[in-house]
Amino acid sequence: MGAKIQVTRPTKIELARLKRRFRLATRIQKIMKDRLSILVMEFLETVKECAVVKERLVNEFNEAYRALSVTAGYLGSENLEKALFALEMPLKMTGRTRNVAGVRIPVFDVEKDTGVAARTAVRPGMTAIEEDTLSVARRCLESIIELAELENSLELLGAEINKVKRINNALEYNVIPALHGTIRYLNMKFEERDREEGARLKYVKLLIEKREAYAY
Amino acid sequence: MPIDGDSLRDRWLDGGVAEDLRILNTQAPRARKTLAALLREDTPFVSCQDGGEHHFRKSELLRLASMLEEWEREELLLPILIEVSGESGQMTVRTKTGVEEKVLGTLLGMPVDREGDEIYLSRAQLPAIRRLLKSSTQYLFLI
Repeated sequence: MGAKIQVTRPTKIELARLKRRFRLATRIQKIMKDRLSILVMEFLETVKECAVVKERLVNEFNEAYRALSVTAGYLGSENLEKALFALEMPLKMTGRTRNVAGVRIPVFDVEKDTGVAARTAVRPGMTAIEEDTLSVARRCLESIIELAELENSLELLGAEINKVKRINNALEYNVIPALHGTIRYLNMKFEERDREEGARLKYVKLLIEKREAYAY
Repeated sequence: MPIDGDSLRDRWLDGGVAEDLRILNTQAPRARKTLAALLREDTPFVSCQDGGEHHFRKSELLRLASMLEEWEREELLLPILIEVSGESGQMTVRTKTGVEEKVLGTLLGMPVDREGDEIYLSRAQLPAIRRLLKSSTQYLFLI
């Protein structure tokens, strides 16, 4: 018999209570398992998405580096530095949260309206090469924000998976076996009581029979 | 839930489980909103049971709007709740008007399994739906 819960009064009421608790624990464990599988599924999906965004970001960084090199070659490093100092890149981003199976996950929405944003960023007299570099840099920034959201989601989901796993394991390997063991122990105790009662009754019957035999 | 004579460990475990059960469905919305109402909002969101807010991605709402008629936008309640039942191990989406069936069918590219008011989802279909509707769907755990 495995570990069991300490029961001070081995009564039928206690047994009924334990049975109810056992049924509840089993149902909760099923829910926890479902929640765990959902969280793992979300985690894996986020990992896949993260890999795609990372790959895209590396490509965009390569492109940005190339564009910056071309611009530096065209303008000269001193003029490029001046242009970079004067540069403003308007970017509207909203940060909120969404809920995934009880985990609050950040949502960063970058406004995709490149028309207005790009127009305000472009200064008069800016060359086409500079504009191109600016748009590549903007794309890089958007990808970085997207990646930040995904990485943060991964971290939060991972922490929650660990927590749910611990609770699930506690239920599966500790609470449920302990309840099961205690129920078995109480059942055995009651059976033993019944047997003792039977033996006592037989003995009393025997005594009565003996007394009756002596009476005759 | 603790009974007389429970050890400290049992009490601690019970407390942990009770806490986890408490937060299990806190993400569920207090009241859902229609797609048309959400499209009219600047920052579309619904209030959750725990007092927090669940925000929707505008791009998802626009995607949903593009696949529905005007009257259907007034009927579709968001977020779509995916009910997870520990007892049967099935995932269901409740629908009264059938708009949810159209949305899920369109996203999956195949007809979904519907019986009466319930749409049954398989485990394989779930990631595909969640990938496309991250903020427009939510899980609801049934005990």
